[in-house]
Amino acid sequence: MRVGMNRRQAFGGFALTFGAVSFGLTTQARAAVLGWAPTALTAEQARALDAAAELIVPATDTPGARAAGVPQFVDRTIGGWCDPAQAALLRSGLDRLDTDARAAGGAAFADLAPAQQGAILAGYEATGSAQRLFFSTLRDLVTTGYFTSKPGATLALRYDPVPGAYHGCVPLKTIGRAWAT
Amino acid sequence: MARLNTRWRAENTYDAIIVGSGITGGWAAKELTEKGLKTLVLERGPMVRHVVDYPTATTDPWDTKYPSGRLPPAELKAHYPVQDRAGYAVTEYTKHFFVRDDEEPYTEAKPFDWIRGYHVGGRSLLWGRQCYRHSPIDFEANAREGIGIDWPVRYPEMAPWYDYVERFIGVSGQAEGLAQLPDGVFQPPMEMNCVEIDFKKRAEARFPERRVTIGRAAHLTKPTEEQIALGRGQCQHRNMCMRGCPFGAYFSSNSATLVAAERTGRLQIRPASIVTSILYDEKKGRADGVKVLDATTGEEMEFYADVVFLCASTLNSAWVMLNSTSKRFENGFGNASDQLGRNLMDHHLGVGAQAEVPGYEEMYYSGRRPNGIYVPRFRNLGDKATARSDYLRGFGYQGGAGRAGWNRKAPGFGAERKTALTQPGPWAFRLIGFGETLPYADNRATLNPAVKDKHGLPTLTLDVSLRENEHAMRKDMQTAAAEMMEAAGFKNVHGYDMSPNPGNGIHEMGAARMGRDPKTSVLNAHNQVHECRNVYVTDGSAMVSAACVNPSLTYMALTARAVDHAVSERRKGNL
Repeated sequence: MRVGMNRRQAFGGFALTFGAVSFGLTTQARAAVLGWAPTALTAEQARALDAAAELIVPATDTPGARAAGVPQFVDRTIGGWCDPAQAALLRSGLDRLDTDARAAGGAAFADLAPAQQGAILAGYEATGSAQRLFFSTLRDLVTTGYFTSKPGATLALRYDPVPGAYHGCVPLKTIGRAWAT
Repeated sequence: MARLNTRWRAENTYDAIIVGSGITGGWAAKELTEKGLKTLVLERGPMVRHVVDYPTATTDPWDTKYPSGRLPPAELKAHYPVQDRAGYAVTEYTKHFFVRDDEEPYTEAKPFDWIRGYHVGGRSLLWGRQCYRHSPIDFEANAREGIGIDWPVRYPEMAPWYDYVERFIGVSGQAEGLAQLPDGVFQPPMEMNCVEIDFKKRAEARFPERRVTIGRAAHLTKPTEEQIALGRGQCQHRNMCMRGCPFGAYFSSNSATLVAAERTGRLQIRPASIVTSILYDEKKGRADGVKVLDATTGEEMEFYADVVFLCASTLNSAWVMLNSTSKRFENGFGNASDQLGRNLMDHHLGVGAQAEVPGYEEMYYSGRRPNGIYVPRFRNLGDKATARSDYLRGFGYQGGAGRAGWNRKAPGFGAERKTALTQPGPWAFRLIGFGETLPYADNRATLNPAVKDKHGLPTLTLDVSLRENEHAMRKDMQTAAAEMMEAAGFKNVHGYDMSPNPGNGIHEMGAARMGRDPKTSVLNAHNQVHECRNVYVTDGSAMVSAACVNPSLTYMALTARAVDHAVSERRKGNL
């Protein structure tokens, strides 16, 4: 449903779209130039992934997906881990992100305003969306990539490679966050 | 040629040969060498040196090649379709310790999960480390119920050997004073977490015949001087055991028995050595040694010894014996009873209950305990109160409580979701039953000459299934777990039965059972082949019944006891 609304918005006028893109330039989710070279994805797919990953796990008081190298992790996983069907799902899903972004906002997904980007992803999560499986697959990968990254494991979570002792009953507040492993 | 052969024989003759270097081969090596015998261990797989050959032991999550170390689906499908049935085992962290199924074929007449690792140390590197003694009722059950054949040993005779093994390997656990689960030589128990403590209190109050205890596990919680001297250290609660422990804190052949054996100066380990048969000297009426195929060069060779210990794991020891045919042993080595390959058992598991636990949101734990809780058997203990009319024997539960981590299901995206996942999720509680499987003569392994492995050797066909007794027990395993969780006040309690294949317990047992009568058993009371006194078989194949407890401790105790017998018999000239 949200996707439909965005499409209507796109027909609403060039000015609105332009305004949104301008706003997008100042936001964190926007990366005009990709800081890494994809190996499994096209440059366009990688830009869409880069933006989507940061939306899924944004920087907060701890680094986000981009700073944790998650887009590279996803690119690597598509190239060296996924079976062909999964890889195709992710590639075509990323292509579709740009198609939907152009339809909704007149620009590539990475160049849209965060609110527009978010609306597209939220639409994907809705029941009946053709991009639902793509989105949940991407979200799982981004989440895994993030929480197994060094910043994710050591800053967003608590990581202790060699705990030494085991204590079975500890107040959560003394640890503060979930264990990474 | 004759002179060459004489020289080869002289250079390749040992006091003892051990086939296999896993949990029992390692024990045989330690005991035989410490008792003065020059010993050769033949291992079909490659060398794994303690610590040095644990390449992933300290790999951080961000240094894996694959997401969470999971192998690519295509790799699992091509190389590990059977090994992966264990569900958790084969990962980027551990795959070098598992066989590739495409290289090690066998035939499943009925589905059977044969999960194994071929390398020095074998599955002692991969085991679950749970250590429980068979109880007096376990050793008496077959005789009392007329099932299979009687064990030729009883608990009092085994008890000192259990003591001996536990003292060396180091078992952390809590003494409970239960007849059905004898206490042992324990190092300090690991702690239960808050939810487990609460479960224990409530479940025991509601069901006085049931006990909840911490798992008894082969981890050093307070190493002895002997263990420290071997280079072993205290458990660091990393729970990365299957990668190999750089602290030597859990027991394996690599960290303990082979180290002790090596220090005697009497141990020789030869990796890449597939024992294809036992050499039998018809004139002397005894084994002469073994025939070996070098897995690297394809060369065939012979090694000789006074005494041979088969410790190749249940199915592979059965394979060696089935493949050792001669005029004397037409249907397999020491197989006049036709019991070789029969009575295969495993523990049936994958059934129990799980629940959610509200009320402990403010509590957590620190460290990763490589152990869970244990509920010892509470059915059919010989009294009226615990007797069941619907099945024989019983089961125990392993399990525990924990909080969900970042990998739990979480809808949406963005900062709120991220922040939520940086906090621990809900508590969950799970019990997993481990049930005794009865011995059935037609649950068996047979030699299959039609399917050859990459060396051209015949392979095994496995034909094993659960029967009525096991199926009836599984229903109770589910019900009894759920009722304990209900009694504990847990929420959303539900039973489950994943119906795994036989073999999934990875406790293969019974293909060359012990017994008193050579007509109905392959081995005698000392694990000696009835028909060939200088060959001993001391791995899981010797088991006469399965009990419901993890079997490795019993294999180790039987092995140490058998070596004691062999060395004493050899001294007397009786081998």
